[in-house]
Amino acid sequence: MSEKLSTIDLVNKNLARRYRREKRFRAYGIASIMFGLLCLVILFADIIGKGHSAFLQTYVRLNVELSAEALGISDINDPSQFVRANYDGVLRNALRERFPEVNKRREKRNLYGIISNGAGYQLRDLLEQNPQLINTRVDIWVLADDDYDTYYKSRSSDGSEAYTGRFSETQIGWIEALIADGVVEKRFNRTFFQAGDSREPEQAGIRGAMMGSLYTLIVTFVLSFPIGVAAAVYLEEYAHKNRFTDFIEVNINNLAAVPSIIFGLLGLAIFINFFSMPRSIPLVGGIVLTLMTLPTIIISSRAAIKAVPPSIREAALGIGASKMQVILHHVLPLAMPGMLTGAIIGMAQALGETAPLLLIGMVAFIVDVPGGITDPSTVLPVQIFLWSDSPERAFVERTSAAIMVLLGFLIVMNTLAVLLRRRLERRW
Amino acid sequence: MEATVGSANTIGKLNSEAPVSKATANYKEQAAGKTVGIPFVEHPKMSMRDVQVYYGDKQAIFDVGLDIGKNEVVAMIGPSGCGKSTFLRCLNRMNDTIDICRVEGSLKLEELDIYDPKLDVVPLRARVGMVFQKPNPFPKSIYDNVAYGPRIHGLVSRKSELDEIVETSLRRAGLWEEVKDRLLSPGTGLSGGQQQRLCIARTIAVSPEVILMDEPCSALDPIATAKIEELIAELSANFTIAIVTHSMQQAARVSDRTAYFHLGKLIEVNETEKVFTNPDHELTEAYITGRFG
Amino acid sequence: MDKLSIGQHISGQFNADLEALKTELLEMGGLVEEQVISAVKAITSADSELAEQVITREEEVDNFEVKLDEQCTLVLARRQPAAGDLRMVLAVAKIIRDLERMGDEAQKIAKMALELNEEGEAPRGYVELRHIGSLVHQMVINTLDCFARFDVNLALNVAKEDGRVDQEYKSAMRELATYMMEDPRSISRVLNIVWAIRSLERIGDHSRNIAEHVIFLVKGLDVRHVSVKEMQRKLGQEDD
Repeated sequence: MSEKLSTIDLVNKNLARRYRREKRFRAYGIASIMFGLLCLVILFADIIGKGHSAFLQTYVRLNVELSAEALGISDINDPSQFVRANYDGVLRNALRERFPEVNKRREKRNLYGIISNGAGYQLRDLLEQNPQLINTRVDIWVLADDDYDTYYKSRSSDGSEAYTGRFSETQIGWIEALIADGVVEKRFNRTFFQAGDSREPEQAGIRGAMMGSLYTLIVTFVLSFPIGVAAAVYLEEYAHKNRFTDFIEVNINNLAAVPSIIFGLLGLAIFINFFSMPRSIPLVGGIVLTLMTLPTIIISSRAAIKAVPPSIREAALGIGASKMQVILHHVLPLAMPGMLTGAIIGMAQALGETAPLLLIGMVAFIVDVPGGITDPSTVLPVQIFLWSDSPERAFVERTSAAIMVLLGFLIVMNTLAVLLRRRLERRW
Repeated sequence: MEATVGSANTIGKLNSEAPVSKATANYKEQAAGKTVGIPFVEHPKMSMRDVQVYYGDKQAIFDVGLDIGKNEVVAMIGPSGCGKSTFLRCLNRMNDTIDICRVEGSLKLEELDIYDPKLDVVPLRARVGMVFQKPNPFPKSIYDNVAYGPRIHGLVSRKSELDEIVETSLRRAGLWEEVKDRLLSPGTGLSGGQQQRLCIARTIAVSPEVILMDEPCSALDPIATAKIEELIAELSANFTIAIVTHSMQQAARVSDRTAYFHLGKLIEVNETEKVFTNPDHELTEAYITGRFG
Repeated sequence: MDKLSIGQHISGQFNADLEALKTELLEMGGLVEEQVISAVKAITSADSELAEQVITREEEVDNFEVKLDEQCTLVLARRQPAAGDLRMVLAVAKIIRDLERMGDEAQKIAKMALELNEEGEAPRGYVELRHIGSLVHQMVINTLDCFARFDVNLALNVAKEDGRVDQEYKSAMRELATYMMEDPRSISRVLNIVWAIRSLERIGDHSRNIAEHVIFLVKGLDVRHVSVKEMQRKLGQEDD
C-alpha cells in the first residue's frame, strides 16, 4: 500500500513465474510424447526380438541315395510314379546311414523326427524337375523339424547353452553331431512367405492369411467406398435438413461405436444362415467388414465434402452447372483426398479386425492359399490369434513374425494412401 | 422534409399485376410510392416488382421494385446487411441453394419469369452470369476455367471453336496478354486481381446477357481494383451489369445508376452523378457522406 | 427540404475540417465586408489614412484565399466528400474566389479615395456613392448570413437586390455622364467617383455569385446565368 509499483515492475515480478509455468506446460507435452514413444519402442523391441528369428529356418544336409528301387520308380516317364514314390523311405535310409548305431524301433522314429515330415515333398519337387538324378547320390538340404530348429536357433556358439525342451540326451547328441559335421545351416525362411498354415511350425506360412486379408480388404473397399461416398454425397448435397436426416445422422454416429462382434453376429445371421453363403470366405468377411467400416467412411467423407469451399460450388452454380455437374466436376475431386483418408483409416481398422471374422468362420484351419474371394481363407489377425494359441514353441516366433507382417501391411497401405493423397490434392 | 417522405410513402404500393409497359408509363407516380428517384426505365432488360425475400420467418427484403436497362450498369450500395447482396442473388436464383430462403414478387428477365417454378435454372444462369466477392477460380488450368462454361452448356463442337472462345473471353477480360503463354498452368496460381479477371472471363465465356457482380473488388488491392473497374466500363458496351459494392467511390466511378438499400428497403435509385452530388433522400445522403453510426 | 448539415459524421475529424472551412470562410467574409465599408467611408469622409489601411489589409484577404484553397484541396484529397459535403467544399472554393475579387474591388475604391484626395473633391456623385454603398453593404451582410445559415430564401433576396443595385448604378451613370458633359473640366475627378461606383456594382455582382453558390450548396441546383425569375421557378418546383 505504502509504495506504488509501476506496471512494468509488477509485470517483471510475475515474469519469472510465468516463464516457469510455460516451461512446465511444455514439459507435460514432451513427457506424454516420450511416454508414447517408450511404449512403442518396448512393443517393437519385444516383437522384433521374438519374431526376427522366424525369418530364418534351419536346414540339414543329407547325403541321399536316390536308388530307383528304393523309391519304387520303374519308369521315369510316368509322372504318377513320381507322385507315389517312397521319398520318406530314402530320407530315412540316409538318416540311418548317418547314425548307424540307432537300431531300436522307438529311437529310429525319434531319429526320423530330425527332419520335417515335409522334406519328402521337397525331394519330390527336386526329382520331378531333375529326373536324371535318379540312381545317383546327392547332397540335399532338407527342412529340419521345429524342435531341432528351435534348439539350433537358441544354441550358443560353443553348444554350452540351448533350449532343450523335451529333448532326450540322445537327440541332443544327434543334433550336436550333425552340427559338428557342418551340415546344419540357417537359411532365409522362404516357406514362411510361400506356404499356408500348417500344424508343423516349420512348414507353416503366412501367405494364406495374407492373401485372405488382401481379398477381404478388396471386397471391403470395393463395397464400402462407393456406398459410403454415395451416402455422404446424398446426405451433404441433396438431403433436406429435417428430423429424418437428423435421425440418420445420429444412427450413423452410433453405428461407428457399435462393438465389431455385433457385426459378426449380423453377418452370421444374415449372410450365412439366411442367404446360405459358404463360411470362411473373404466375400462374406468383406461384406461384414464393409458394414463395420461404412460409418467411418461416411462420417469422414461428409467432413471432406463439407470442407470444400462454398465459393467453388457457387462459382460452378453461377456459370450454370447443374447440381450433379457441381458434385462430379468440383466437389468430389476436391473432397477425394479427405474421403480417401477416411477410407484408409476404415481399411486399417478392417485389416486389424478379428472378432466379427471369428463368427463367420474365418478362424478355420486352412492350409491352402486362397485363390479368390470365394475360397475359404483366414486373415492375418486371426492367423496371429491361432498361432499364439498353439503349444509349439516355434509358433511363438512365428506369431511375432506375423505381427510384423501385419504391421508391414499397414505401413504399405498408409504409404499408398499418402502417395495417393499427394497426387490428388489440389490447392484452391 | 420529414413530411415530404411521409406523404410519399402514403401514395401506396404499385400493382404487381400491371403489365410492364403500363408500369413504365406512369413510373414517376409509382416511384414516389416506394422508392425515391427513378427505379424504372423504358424497355428494361430485367424488371423486378414487389420483391419480398424471407429467410425463414425473417423478412430480408421489402417491396423492392427496380429495373435494369439494357447495357446499363446499376450499382447497389448500402450498409452491411441491407439486403443488396440478397437482392442481387435473387436475379439468377443463387438463393435457391439456401433452403430457408423464400422469394415473392415478380422478377423478369425480359419476358422470362425468373421464379417460374417450371423454369430450369441452368439456362437462366447461362443468361445471367455471376462474379463473386472472393476470386474463386476452379483448381484447374486457366484454359479449363474459361472453357468450363462452354463445355457444360455444349456451346462448342470442336476444339478450335473452344480455343477461340477461351481467347476472346480472356481478351475481353484483359487477361490474354498476361496468361497466353501459360494457359495450362493452374488458375489458382495467378494474383488476386488476375484471378478475379479470370472469373470474369469464365463468366463471359458463356455469353450471358446480364452479369451480376457481388463486391467483385473487396478482396483486391487498389491497382487490381482499378483494372476491374476499367474492365466493367468496357464490358458495359455489350453486357448489362448489376454490381453490389461497399465502395461508394467505386459505385460512383463505374455505374450509370445507383440504388441505395437500407434495412431491406430500396430507398433511392437515381443517376449516379445525382446520387453522389445531390441525393434526393436524406438516408442516402447520410450514407454516402459517412454519417451512419 | 433544407437537409444540409455538416456535423454527425462518423469521423469527428471530418466534422472539424468542414466546420473549420465554414468559420474561416465567414472570418474572411467579415474582413471583406469591413474593407468595403472602410473603402466607401474613405471616399465619403476623404480619409487618406483609412484608404491606405484598406490597401494594406488587402494582403490579409489574399492570404485567407490561399489558406482556404489549401484546406479545400486537403479535404478533397483526404475525405473524398460526397453529396452535401462535396457541394460544401466546392462552394467554399468558389466563394473564396468571389470574396477575393470583392477585396480587390474594395482596394480599387480605396485607391480612388487617395486620388480624389490628391486631385480635390469631385463636384458630384457622393450621394449616389453613399446610396449604392449602403445597398451593397447590406447585400454583403446578407450574403454572409445566407451562407452562415444555409438560407436559400435569403440568397434569393440577395439575387433580387443585385437587380436593384444594377438599376441604381445605371441611373447614377446616366446622371454623372450628363454632368460630365455639362462640365468637362471636372471629368477626371468625377471619373474617380464613377470608377468607385463601378467597383461597388462589381461587388454586388460577386455577392450575387456567392448567393448562387449558396443555393447550389444547399439545394444542389445550378442557378448560374439565369434570371431571378428562372431561379425562383427552379427553387419553387423543387419545393413542391
